[in-house]
Amino acid sequence: MLNGTAASDGIGIGRAMIIEEHSLDYTPKTITDTDAESQRFKNAVKIFCDNTTAQAEALRKSTGDKEAEILEGHIQIMRDPYMCGEIEKLISDGQCAEAALEHMCDMFITMFSAADDELTKQRASDVKDIKTSVLSILLGVNEVKISAAPKGTVIVAKELTPSMTAGINKENIVGIVTETGGKTSHSAILARALEIPAVLSVDGAAKKLSAGEQVIVDGNEGIVIASPEESQIEQYTQKRSAFLRERRELENYRGKKTLSASGEEYELFCNIGKPDDAISAMEFDGEGVGLFRTEFLFMDRNSVPTEDEQFEAYKKAVLILKGKPLIIRTLDVGGDKDLPYLGLKKEENPFMGYRAIRYCLDNRELFKTQIRAILRASAFGDIRIMFPLVTCVDELRAGKELVEKAKEELRESKINFNENIKIGVMMETSSAAVIADVLAKESDFFSIGTNDLTGYTMACDRGNSDVSYLYSALQPSVLRLIKNIIDCGIKNNIPVGMCGEAAANSMIIPLLISFGLTEFSVSAPSVLKVRKVISTWTKAEADKVAEKVMSMSTEKEIYDYLKTVI
Amino acid sequence: MVSKQLTLTNAQGFHMRPASVFATAMGKYSCDVTIKFNGNDYNAKSLLNIVAACIKCGSEIEVICDGADEKEALEEAVQLIESGLGE
Repeated sequence: MLNGTAASDGIGIGRAMIIEEHSLDYTPKTITDTDAESQRFKNAVKIFCDNTTAQAEALRKSTGDKEAEILEGHIQIMRDPYMCGEIEKLISDGQCAEAALEHMCDMFITMFSAADDELTKQRASDVKDIKTSVLSILLGVNEVKISAAPKGTVIVAKELTPSMTAGINKENIVGIVTETGGKTSHSAILARALEIPAVLSVDGAAKKLSAGEQVIVDGNEGIVIASPEESQIEQYTQKRSAFLRERRELENYRGKKTLSASGEEYELFCNIGKPDDAISAMEFDGEGVGLFRTEFLFMDRNSVPTEDEQFEAYKKAVLILKGKPLIIRTLDVGGDKDLPYLGLKKEENPFMGYRAIRYCLDNRELFKTQIRAILRASAFGDIRIMFPLVTCVDELRAGKELVEKAKEELRESKINFNENIKIGVMMETSSAAVIADVLAKESDFFSIGTNDLTGYTMACDRGNSDVSYLYSALQPSVLRLIKNIIDCGIKNNIPVGMCGEAAANSMIIPLLISFGLTEFSVSAPSVLKVRKVISTWTKAEADKVAEKVMSMSTEKEIYDYLKTVI
Repeated sequence: MVSKQLTLTNAQGFHMRPASVFATAMGKYSCDVTIKFNGNDYNAKSLLNIVAACIKCGSEIEVICDGADEKEALEEAVQLIESGLGE
């Protein structure tokens, strides 16, 4: 059994086709008939452009415009008058076409790789891909024809390039295994778009698996099984049909509005941790991002990220969302999240201590840097700011004051931002929940963080098995707080969302519908499932359930009752 | 030779698509078209050169056209950049 990164859900059972990389080595020679060499180069470019146009057309049919545009960009790069002009010049100076092409491509690869922005950096891999394709044509090396793969093929490769993936026929390819690439790599995105199970980053896969060998690809768990036993095949065949049945059912909810059975409309957002996660939020049909945790930007490094670094990250996320809302939570450090370079002291009781907005308000420069970066990114889409761990209105006011100060600075420097950026509170402490009426008057929105809210309200550490039985969002106290937060939001005309795990819990969803929650923010893979659950409830039915639940005295009663109604 | 100072206003800056729109449009003219940015000259008929210049939203650039149809070229260049390069 081989382990890798689960990059595209599903189970594939088929025979391995190993995509070997051909050597593109050549011996540079000096050309005397430069006209003939130039013609050879022109012919190669023409073949490249014809092939790529055909691939782009095929891809447009299978996965849509976006993937096809990557390939059309390749044609434009190869036809670039400067690039072609310089290559022709090198050829007329006596260089062979291969060397001339490689020289120019490498120049741009170096230039793009050195750029300080992500989008430009990505262009380097495009030029690399083009170089490989045109060199293969010049050298007469046949690129493997994935398009000719027979039914039931599992592709095994070092890496999938866009031009390779263009040949994938989703009828015939049942799985993908590569040696490189993560969840957000090009191969992963494409595999998901084609709904082909994929396991990436499998060390030495092309060597460990042999051509024609039977292979099981478990894209849910990130497992590859070579030459499986009869019993394993049977087990995975069953798993596969169950998976497909559920997927088919959920697919009916893609592209639909999130509506209850009685027609109330809700917003269904995703929780993300990195700018690239916004891609999966879109893929899974999220209607926006209800929680962007910004801690990742501060982790795995030795110093605080600069304003520009943060700005680029927020901007990237909001551009991916194409106008859909992005709620950015300001730095939630402390508690269980330590950043050594900040030099936080060890605390007796970190969850009650120096964390989140408390830390930020005490380190105003760091906080203002983040706020400035968020404000600058707000010029590029619908960004909203959310403060974590607010316990009293003073913290909200201080945070808002800092936002005003940052706005003032940006105005002075004539930097664009959204003047009317919305500022909300993450409702995750019992104190905030109790004074929701006060906070609602000064907030533009609420988002309930049920994980901490449950922990703080029950005074219970879910990680401690001696007390974790108390940890449940179905505790009457927690439900009353959630209801109060939503009531206060409604009274003050501000939207109330939920970004904790409870928002995706099918037992709790009817209660939230009844209370009047307006936005659910869940992990990307849960979007369609939650949309389906919401669609099964009418407001009146949900009200009946909620009324009953709110009259019950214990968590167990509530749990047992909800089990019977879902 | 004619030239004009401009500010790039499209959100994404001069990335693949806007650069390609611009380079393709400039390719129709026989005159030389150059973008001056941060003290460097970039061939504006080459999409790769434009992308490599990494020109971001809000940047000041100068477009210089030199040759027989320079007036028409500059006119279209200005119009394209001011309209946000088809974004």
